[in-house]
Amino acid sequence: MEDFKLLAPLAWRNLWRNPRRTVITLIVVSVGLWSILAVASFITAWAQSSRDATLRLLIAQGQIHAEGYLDNPNINRLMDPPEGALLAALNQPDISNWVVRLELPAVVQSEYKTLPASVVGVVPEDERRISSVPDKLVQGRYLSGPEDDGAVIGLNLAKRLKTALGRRVILMITAEDGWLEERSFDVVGIYDADTAFEDTYIFTGQAAMQEMVGLENKIAQIAFEVPDDTKLDGVVARLQAAAPTLDTRQWRKLSLIMGAMDATMGGVIFVWMGVMMVMISIGVINTQLMAVFERIHEFGLLRALGLKPGHVLALVALESLLLIGLGVLIGMAMGAGTVWGLSDGIDLSAFGKALEAFKTGDVLYLQIQPMDYVIFPLAIWLLGVVVALWPAWRAAKISPVEAMRSAT
Amino acid sequence: MKAIVSCKGVTKVFGKGELAVHALRGIDLDIMEGDFATLAGPSGSGKTTLLNMIGALDHPTEGEVTVDGQSLSGMSKGALSDLRLEKVGFIFQAYNLVPVLSARENVEFVLRLAKVPAAERRARADAALAEVGLQGMESRRPSAMSGGQQQRVAIARALVGRPRVVLADEPTANLDSKTTAELVDLMYRLNQESGITFLIGTHDPRVMDHSKRHIEMEDGQIISDTRS
Ligand SMILES: Nc1ncnc2c1ncn2[C@@H]1O[C@H](COP(=O)(O)OP(=O)(O)OP(=O)(O)O)[C@@H](O)[C@H]1O
Ligand SMILES: [Mg+2]
Repeated sequence: MEDFKLLAPLAWRNLWRNPRRTVITLIVVSVGLWSILAVASFITAWAQSSRDATLRLLIAQGQIHAEGYLDNPNINRLMDPPEGALLAALNQPDISNWVVRLELPAVVQSEYKTLPASVVGVVPEDERRISSVPDKLVQGRYLSGPEDDGAVIGLNLAKRLKTALGRRVILMITAEDGWLEERSFDVVGIYDADTAFEDTYIFTGQAAMQEMVGLENKIAQIAFEVPDDTKLDGVVARLQAAAPTLDTRQWRKLSLIMGAMDATMGGVIFVWMGVMMVMISIGVINTQLMAVFERIHEFGLLRALGLKPGHVLALVALESLLLIGLGVLIGMAMGAGTVWGLSDGIDLSAFGKALEAFKTGDVLYLQIQPMDYVIFPLAIWLLGVVVALWPAWRAAKISPVEAMRSAT
Repeated sequence: MKAIVSCKGVTKVFGKGELAVHALRGIDLDIMEGDFATLAGPSGSGKTTLLNMIGALDHPTEGEVTVDGQSLSGMSKGALSDLRLEKVGFIFQAYNLVPVLSARENVEFVLRLAKVPAAERRARADAALAEVGLQGMESRRPSAMSGGQQQRVAIARALVGRPRVVLADEPTANLDSKTTAELVDLMYRLNQESGITFLIGTHDPRVMDHSKRHIEMEDGQIISDTRS
């Protein structure tokens, strides 16, 4: 403690002997940390936004199907609407919304073309609460009720079929009796999502679709929304237990691409952090070595006066500790300032179509991830101090006689 | 009279084999309490090397150095640091002061290392600075002082720990003649009034003029030792 009181003021003042170099080191450390924090919160926000937007289209946080439906979706692998234990398990506060859908593979035909598609029979008022498709209509209207036998199709599909609002398309679905049932539908609405989604999904009223394929009251899936991702595993387990014969999956298992993206997002942040760490190390070692070599005679003097090698090591290490600590604090402030300054959201709408494939919302909201503000600064601080130990050790090794001799 | 410093058969060889430099070749020397001694000799004769041996900054190759009755042979580095702190005051030719510390802080520094309590530290530092004529300059940094003033601070620092002996290696080398005269007068006065023992390595005749004891070295050996 006594030693600390002796060395701390000395270390602090030594920092400002060469203000230019100190400022450069501060910039290296703070900008490095700032970029890690900014990249981390941007990527996190981006991934979250893109994930939310995708899940919000149709997947939701999880779905329940009859066993085997996902491997081979067809009319023989449907199920009944939830009741009893499953209904009770769905109506819990951790599930904010759920919806039942009938979804079957189909063929859609216009005067010009025949294309594969997936027809989804929905309950429109429920769908509005859980899916963003009803908000993405660019022409016409969304479905009015379960009995509505109009078709809502994607913008790109309409283009490929060379059809338009008010025209008719023919849907062919394998019905319960094994026959291909075919019926013409009015195109009542056209929605704009991403191309792949637009090409796949056609929406119509659930009751109308059930009537067409000759099934009363059968459904293909239950989609449910869980706002708190940390509770998702628990919810899935509960639903699985309530309906052991059904197949309950969360989104990571439903969309393998999304699951993989979710897993690699952290990797990108760590690669960036690695790059920055190498740069910071080089910067710190360089400046601290220079600072040591410049002051060889002074360390000689201090040693001659009675400072022990350990003191000299502590002095130089303390200088690095202070210098990097200061840089880390500035970097944290810059990171927090950036997130705060952009708290109104980053408007991506200007990029429009270019970003459509990423399915983000138009506005990206950066957030401070509290753990980022503990782990990254601490990691950089530790790193800086560890790499500065080498210059410190060099300084401690200096013999007073040699140092004084080289000084004159 | 008592010997404060005693060297017996001290030799120092730098390097090995062909390249070996015999800086000291068997030095026998006693510095007595109250001596004001000058150590002279041509460049390379071994003055600095000898002062370093006495000041426990370096180990002799052979022979023994005793300071205030304590033999330095076999002492650990830490123990040597402590001995320097307690018994020896140093004045170097240049780079004497820590640039980021004020005059007072420079003087206090050795007292801090010696774990003198804070209140006493400050009083002693200010008294030492007053003694060397630097009253009112306690808060100045070395960069704001002349070379002579800086050496005075170094003298104050060498004295403040109440050492048994002050070792000065060419303390006036970078100073003009007037400042040199003042500095020598100051050291001489301190020796006369307080009885502090000085051993000063120097080329400077103005320093030698004051000495009560004059030691001449050549080629690592003492060739004359005269009192006046
Ligand atoms: N660390 C060292 N390594 C190698 N040789 C050394 C070392 N220190 C001193 N010497 C050599 O020892 C001899 C004595 O050197 P020293 O510095 O003691 O002489 P000096 O009398 O103080 O000279 P000057 O008047 O120039 O200061 C010289 O030849 C010098 O080159
Ligand atoms: Mg010399």
